[in-house]
Amino acid sequence: MITLTIDHIVVQVPEGVTVMQAAGSIGTEIPSMCYLPGHFNHPSCMVCMVRDAQSGKFFPSCAMPVSEGMQVITHSPEIREMRRESLELLLSDHAGDCEAPCRLSCPAFMNIPLMNRLIASSDFEQALQVVQEEIALPLLLGYICPAPCEKACRRKPLQGSVSICLLKRTTATVTKSREKIAEALIRPSGKKVAVIGTGPAGLAAAFYLLRAGHQCVLFDKNDQAGGSLRYDIPESRLPREILDAEIRVIQQMGAVFEMNRTITGEAFEDLVKEFDAVILASGERSQQPSGFPAINTHTMGTSRPGIFGCGAIVRPTGMAVRSAAQGRVAALETDIYLKSGKHKKSGITFHSVITHLFESELQEYLKESIPGPRTEPQSGFLAGFSAEEAVREAKRCLRCDCRKSSGCKLRILSDEYQANRKRFTGPERKRLTKSMQHDLVVYEPQKCIRCGLCIEIAGKEKQALGLTFVGHGFEVEIGVPFNQTIKEALILTALECATSCPTGALAVKELTIDN
Amino acid sequence: MVMKKQRESQSHIVDRIIAIHGRSMEAVIPILQDIQKEFNYLPEEALRHVCSHTDITPSAITGVSTFYSHFRSGKAGEHIIRVCTGTACHVKGALNVYDALCRELKLAKGEVTDPQGKFTLEKVSCLGCCTLAPVVKIDDITYGHLKTDKVGEMLHDFLTRQYGLKKQRNHRKKSVETTLGEIRIGLGSCCIASVSEAVKAELEKTLWENQIHVDVKQVGCVGICHQVPVLEVVKPGGQVAFYAKVKPEEVREVVLNHFRPEGFFSRLRMGFSGMIGNLLEEGIPRSFQRYDQEQRETPLQQFLEPQLAIATEDRGVMIPCDLEDFQHFGGFRQLKYCLDQLTPQQVIDEISLSGLRGRGGAGFPTGRKWQLVKDQASSGKYVICNGDEGDPGAFMDRMLLESYPLRIIEGMLIAAYATGANHGIFYIRAEYPLAVRRVKEAIHLCREKGIIGPSILGSAFSFEIEIFEGAGAFICGEETALIASVEGRRGHPSLRPPYPAFKGLHQKPTLVNNTETLSLISWIIRHGAKTFAVIGTPRSKGTKVFALAGKVRFGGLIEVPMGITIRQIVEDIGGGTIGHKFKAVQIGGPSGGCVPASHAGLPIDFEELITAGSMMGSGGLIVLDESDCMVDIAHYFLSFTQQQSCGKCTFCRVGTRRMLDLLEKFRHGSAREEDLHQLERLAASVKQGSLCGLGKTAPNPVLSALRYFRKEFEAHIQGHCPAGKCQPLITYHINETCIGCTICARQCPASAIENTPYEMHHIDVEKCIKCDICRQCCPVDAITVR
Repeated sequence: MITLTIDHIVVQVPEGVTVMQAAGSIGTEIPSMCYLPGHFNHPSCMVCMVRDAQSGKFFPSCAMPVSEGMQVITHSPEIREMRRESLELLLSDHAGDCEAPCRLSCPAFMNIPLMNRLIASSDFEQALQVVQEEIALPLLLGYICPAPCEKACRRKPLQGSVSICLLKRTTATVTKSREKIAEALIRPSGKKVAVIGTGPAGLAAAFYLLRAGHQCVLFDKNDQAGGSLRYDIPESRLPREILDAEIRVIQQMGAVFEMNRTITGEAFEDLVKEFDAVILASGERSQQPSGFPAINTHTMGTSRPGIFGCGAIVRPTGMAVRSAAQGRVAALETDIYLKSGKHKKSGITFHSVITHLFESELQEYLKESIPGPRTEPQSGFLAGFSAEEAVREAKRCLRCDCRKSSGCKLRILSDEYQANRKRFTGPERKRLTKSMQHDLVVYEPQKCIRCGLCIEIAGKEKQALGLTFVGHGFEVEIGVPFNQTIKEALILTALECATSCPTGALAVKELTIDN
Repeated sequence: MVMKKQRESQSHIVDRIIAIHGRSMEAVIPILQDIQKEFNYLPEEALRHVCSHTDITPSAITGVSTFYSHFRSGKAGEHIIRVCTGTACHVKGALNVYDALCRELKLAKGEVTDPQGKFTLEKVSCLGCCTLAPVVKIDDITYGHLKTDKVGEMLHDFLTRQYGLKKQRNHRKKSVETTLGEIRIGLGSCCIASVSEAVKAELEKTLWENQIHVDVKQVGCVGICHQVPVLEVVKPGGQVAFYAKVKPEEVREVVLNHFRPEGFFSRLRMGFSGMIGNLLEEGIPRSFQRYDQEQRETPLQQFLEPQLAIATEDRGVMIPCDLEDFQHFGGFRQLKYCLDQLTPQQVIDEISLSGLRGRGGAGFPTGRKWQLVKDQASSGKYVICNGDEGDPGAFMDRMLLESYPLRIIEGMLIAAYATGANHGIFYIRAEYPLAVRRVKEAIHLCREKGIIGPSILGSAFSFEIEIFEGAGAFICGEETALIASVEGRRGHPSLRPPYPAFKGLHQKPTLVNNTETLSLISWIIRHGAKTFAVIGTPRSKGTKVFALAGKVRFGGLIEVPMGITIRQIVEDIGGGTIGHKFKAVQIGGPSGGCVPASHAGLPIDFEELITAGSMMGSGGLIVLDESDCMVDIAHYFLSFTQQQSCGKCTFCRVGTRRMLDLLEKFRHGSAREEDLHQLERLAASVKQGSLCGLGKTAPNPVLSALRYFRKEFEAHIQGHCPAGKCQPLITYHINETCIGCTICARQCPASAIENTPYEMHHIDVEKCIKCDICRQCCPVDAITVR
């Protein structure tokens, strides 16, 4: 047995064990990308750097064998900086979008590409579920949203952007059982929340509160619900039966609407006492009583516990979808407040982004799409797409989001270590390519971090050609011997390679709902 | 039909190659080397054939063949032109030569083979002929001191030789009666490159025609590489005359100055021409220089005086592959002594006591390394002589292997005896064909005499030695990468520990020693550890061999005692710089750094050099003058390491590239203040975060340049290159000294100078491609670079 210390804790492990394994034995996790137990490609990524306390030297913990009397430090500001730097270097040589530009430009961060794929496979129910993860009012917004997503769509130069906004509306129109889907999600929590205002922010907040199982009462000074949607937007843009239908969904989910109720400062204090939480969604601040507290634009919370805000009261949003997105955030924050009082770790905010696509790259992206111009609905904009039209239009999506957007270690760690993807940049960005020949996996070499794990996994298979490093140094790439295709390289190990790949370079081709 | 026949013969050839090297994974590099020798490149069909007839997988063969820069996957031209881009060549304008060749061969951008398929142009990291810089090698013929405007002539000369060369007769008579003396001719690579083969042929012809019985002795490198080719005439009685820079047409005269023809007729004939010769000697200047050894104060004396020859003992006297000659100088006596008189532990103790440290760069104590290997209980152990000298600007190992192969074998045998090893490998760069040939021959001789093989010299000690030719990867100088390469894998280093002393080649304890280290062993045994330890500084003992080159008057291979100062090397041995002021020395190549002239009092010592931000490295010592830009030098070294990175770990693969991108900005004048900080920070991370020595030391040239010449970096931020080197920041102009001779106008490849006889010329800055030809060909130095 070898005795060493890891972060000043004495550890005893058998000889031959690595520092990373020794750390694991006391529950200290060290990040890594290239390391996979049982393989010998590592160390390569150098994210698992730790420090020798005696010499001050850094070394990769995944490969360093323990030795008697070693003193290892696994976490310190310097180590964090080294790890961040290795991530930033890898990012400087990594070309790809974590998320599609449409999603990034959507104020609600809706998973548009996934919706498109589900529509393309005619699965409208699933598509609606995906939409409703971020968009409570798909039908309504399908009419009035200015669709910043379509301006960012990579398909734009290829005969027009994908008609995202209409596709989103179609998920609500084609699906018959929308309310049922919503109802089925409700699990009562026993908590009661007041929402002041029934505009896009208030309605969206109510939707997500109800989905989380909270009782919800909406207050509005007008006699009909809808706020700015009803009173500011002309009927020619938003037919009132559409607005009513959207409100009906929320009603059917259990929301109570208290109309003609102007909430003054006094009445507000009563609500605070009566309800477990209050969400302010009552429109522009100038028209509000003075008793409302100021709202934090990031968390939608206020200085007073249990009181949240969203929509134009925070700051004029100019877009119903932005108000609705804030309504969702306020509802989620309220939910956290009501359930545990604790914040769970918020989602990933790191995005690898390529701004402009080169002509050759557009052609690469077209490999996953169909040619042809943007579909115009036969029956006009107000009627929207038929299911068939929607399927065809959805197939125009280029699938420019990353297949590993949620499983990519480079992304997860870059997020964790707050890596700056622009810190090191090369003079020229690599041109993206997509290798689609294989039935099971897609290869995008420009996302590769050259860890060589796939080479080793493929090497286990004797029947196929396997993979290899081609060249050396900065230019080194993963390639197939004799310039053959990935299809000939991987027969039995393709899926193993794809699931082991730490980035989106090798990914499973097949579409799955949880991506 | 023809195609089929070709393929048949190709597979036949490949089968023959496989039969030589075997079918194991390990045979892959030798097999690839032979295939390339056969076809000038690696035809895919041939590689597929190898895979289907051996254990070598397609994945392995592709990985290996694309890793080593020696291997070509595309069809190459009839002849390969290799432009040396080593440090010495770089500072003497190798890139301009390369560009000129591109123009001459009319190569389109990105192309390397001319439209006729005659020539393929390549850059190589270092040919090890630094004193002849800039150097270009076409197939086996080396051209040195090449001027940009002379590349056309060079190609012409090559083609004429190629097709006009007749096999030269060997004039030398085997049986020699009484000899009148000895003529020694240096035949190191530098000498050969500078037509010493032709000198030798002429010498033998002269001797034969005149029936002069003189021994012609082909000795190894003399070290005086700046004066090659050299002839040394020794007459009985010790009279020695030394001729430098001899041309073939001058040989006759040299010989006849010393020796009289013997035959009646020839004597008669010679009497006549001898008179002419004497007459000629009077007034006409000649190209060769003659120095007598007795004569003091000659550059030769100054060059040799401060040196101390241990690794290079008997230089210029000993014949490289002559066992008798070697034994005459005491060779293999130390081996015998060790085998008969000393236990392995006593040998190690002696080496430890001598204070010898590894000459490969890091300076690990040799005795301790031997001890580690000895202490491992194992059925098999290896000794590897690391001759994968890849530093641009270093050619010590080449010279030692070419000139003293037997001495290094003796060193290896002693090391093997001491550590209990039974198998030895010489790992030699493929770029050193002469070294490979000499070592091969030496091994053969030793085997014949029972010095290599079972029961060496009648003892119980048995040892086998083989040669492994590297394939053009600097990283393989790193011991773990070297081992990977011998095992037939890509030269990826691995994390140490485990050290090769514990787990090396084939997982067996392995001693990896540098060539120079091994060449010091027999001297230490002969003279005793204490004698060795007297030389040098407290922590760095003995001597160090340096390849002195760059902007120095007398370059060459020198061996100096540790502790000698940089100033002594540059000024006393090297004779100082020419024209421009001495600015700095670059020591240790891509792992080392620059030491400025202001620190020239620094002694040569492992620790002192590191403190100064440099490193001993393997011993390249390039002198820089005021016309050298330190940003350019930093960029040069970093681009070398960056290209040589194996690509395994992030900090080296991407980090060095990003550093290079930053330096590129400086060279283009587009860098800003924050880039300087970014560069410094990144350099520090690459140093700390890289996996092996290559990456860990790669930032050194940049860091030392920043340390001593920060002002130059700042000047580049202002868009100014003080040395006038960085192409994007300079312009060429003609000053009033112009005499209107039109030479530049006629030579300019970009037609940027109008042909106006007897008028001052003018360079059109828009058209100028900064090829430097005008500056080189101007007879009156009228070209100014700003």
